[in-house]
Amino acid sequence: MKRIAVFGHSSMSLQVMNRLNPELYSMIYIGTNELDADLVAEAGFEAAVIDFRNDDALRSIGIGDDVEILFCFFAKDSDNVFLTISARSIDKDLTIIAIVDDPDSAAKLMAAGANKIIDPYEICGRRTHQLLIKPDLTTILDETVFGRHDLHIAQIEIPEGSWLDQRKASTLKLNEKHNLILIGVVDKELSEDLQFVIGEKEHTLDAGDVLVVLGPAREIRLFKEEVENV
Amino acid sequence: MLTRLVVYFAYFLKTSSRYQNAKLFFYNLLENPYSRLKYYFDVFMISLVVLSVFLLVYEVGKIPSEINRLFEQVIVSIFIVEYMLRAWLYSDSHKMILEHYEKAQYLNYPFRLSKSLRLIAAKKIEYVFSPLAIIDLLAILPSYRELRVLRILFLFRLFKLFRYFNSLKLFTGVLASKRFELYTLAILLGFLIFIGSTAIYLFENPAQGGQVGDLFDALYWSVVTLATVGYGDISPQTPGGRLVAMALIFTGLCVLTFFISIIVSAFNDKMQAMRINQTYAELNRYESFIIICGFGRVGRHIARQLERDQQRFVVIDSRKASVDMARQQGYLVIHDDASKNEVLINTGINNGATAVLCNTGDDVINVYITLTSRHLNPEIRIISRANNEENVKKLYQAGADHVIQPFEIAGLAVAEYIGQPVAFEAILGIIQEEKHILMEALCVHAGSFLEGKRIAELDFEQRKLVLVGVISANPVHRKHKNSYPIKNRHFYFNPESYFELQAGDLLMVLGRDYGINYFRDQIEKSRLKAGGGR
Repeated sequence: MKRIAVFGHSSMSLQVMNRLNPELYSMIYIGTNELDADLVAEAGFEAAVIDFRNDDALRSIGIGDDVEILFCFFAKDSDNVFLTISARSIDKDLTIIAIVDDPDSAAKLMAAGANKIIDPYEICGRRTHQLLIKPDLTTILDETVFGRHDLHIAQIEIPEGSWLDQRKASTLKLNEKHNLILIGVVDKELSEDLQFVIGEKEHTLDAGDVLVVLGPAREIRLFKEEVENV
Repeated sequence: MLTRLVVYFAYFLKTSSRYQNAKLFFYNLLENPYSRLKYYFDVFMISLVVLSVFLLVYEVGKIPSEINRLFEQVIVSIFIVEYMLRAWLYSDSHKMILEHYEKAQYLNYPFRLSKSLRLIAAKKIEYVFSPLAIIDLLAILPSYRELRVLRILFLFRLFKLFRYFNSLKLFTGVLASKRFELYTLAILLGFLIFIGSTAIYLFENPAQGGQVGDLFDALYWSVVTLATVGYGDISPQTPGGRLVAMALIFTGLCVLTFFISIIVSAFNDKMQAMRINQTYAELNRYESFIIICGFGRVGRHIARQLERDQQRFVVIDSRKASVDMARQQGYLVIHDDASKNEVLINTGINNGATAVLCNTGDDVINVYITLTSRHLNPEIRIISRANNEENVKKLYQAGADHVIQPFEIAGLAVAEYIGQPVAFEAILGIIQEEKHILMEALCVHAGSFLEGKRIAELDFEQRKLVLVGVISANPVHRKHKNSYPIKNRHFYFNPESYFELQAGDLLMVLGRDYGINYFRDQIEKSRLKAGGGR
């Protein structure tokens, strides 16, 4: 089970913590005041208040030890930069994800050692734009993949010795056999990037390649079990 | 009998759609500042006025040719028709008659037509004596041979340009708005000229050895000196006259400075209104556009993407810094409060706007703008931003079609990135249309080759497309599995090979941009071929 430490904005933190599977991740919320910590604790998560400027305090919650992922969700970019620099100096292998308030601060956060920068306002702007230009599609994605219905996009890694090893992607016919749609493949023979499967190129699957599929949760689970059943 | 006939005719005009349409047409042509027709008409009239004055100047000292005479007659005819039409548009006479008639009926006293006619005449006379109508009339009168003495008034044609140039209108508006200050200045000026003229005459009359022969010379000298022009044709010779000259020059400078400061401050005051009016006029020329309320971080992202799509939009923000930023980017901006009915109406919420985006950082304001927009236009699309989760419901209640929460979406993105980074890249790739891969909803038009076809017959693989699902409101599909209800429609995920497409269905396909565009073109062509165009 991976250990995640979440710092900063309580509502953003709750959004993420609620979406992560508690069976896979152990999460701790670190607030700057008791009020935020209590709010998150009420939602059933472990919460604490520490001074993020203090390295010893960071170590005390497990950074440099068992914490593998760090979320920096402070409202101020300077706080996120400071926390990123502090955490990176303690643990070189830590995965750090930070939100950015001012787009100009993204480069600073990357320089400070963050692995991924999320700009909530940019994503919000993109979503609004999507709703404007592709209302049908966005509504469907919102309602199904991102919403209450059980359609999901999932990634499935092909293990060693799987029946998929050496199979051609075009022969899988996941839509007919598994009620799933194959969206893309990470064909490691070609590159580490995702290739969309739209009939342009044939992909020979190998162990370690990743399939990205869209479909109902149950079918995804069954297919995953089948693939992983070596 | 005559009264009854007039009242009947007034009712006829009131109910006649042809009359109303004609009046609306001429209103748009001559008066409506936001009309495209008026813009073209103004350009035409400006050309006509300039050409006619040019011909007049050209004719000086020559016998006018037949063509010039004919041209002059045409121009004058147009001016007369324009004058009459403006007089007609100035007031609705039939409404005035009906108003009095209905009032008389209600209060049970006899209706007197003469009283209504007097009021109508008063209204029309009011028009005749309005400054612009006088200019119009003076531009027409000199053309009559009997009134050749008025030829100098041809110059009034140039004044007609006031009607057609907005900047000239603005200047007169500025002067009118500072009427009190200008009156004060004029009184002061008159007083100074009076004192200066009297004093210089007393000091510089020929009996004193001066050059000021009479009071008119004195007045002329005072005006020239006060304006700091000083031609030098009359110059003071006596010490008293020179003192008067010095005093007049200094006071003249003060008056001039005062006048300039009045005009500058009036322009400053009007600048904001002028910019807004210019924006409204520009929006009026657009057939469709989007209203972005709030130019914060989200608003800026949206504006950038709409600009990339070459979509027309207008930004409304009450913060000066945001307005300046939007203006620097070259966007159309209105510096005002988007929650005011008047602002949204003038922007065109009922006249060309297709969507309102409420993006301010304050949920209270977003709710208010949403409510105002929905109240003004029940059909318009409203997408609103909720900064706090508890306000989502309120925004929907206020009338938003969609509510977007920045932190919810960001939370989803972060969770996806942690749990399934490749799937996250796939979603992001599709949403951001990276590598030209996109997901599109294509309509099954009635009459197109798709109508009545089964999925198996379409061979999406051959077209290098992936069919994700079908969106439909058609009840014939209900028997199919993998159906997800969405508002008043259903989304059929991964439809079976025997799924038969119906007109109005939407195919959700994934593919490269040109593959999708080619497929869309084929659908369109087949529809047109079938004689559809429906």
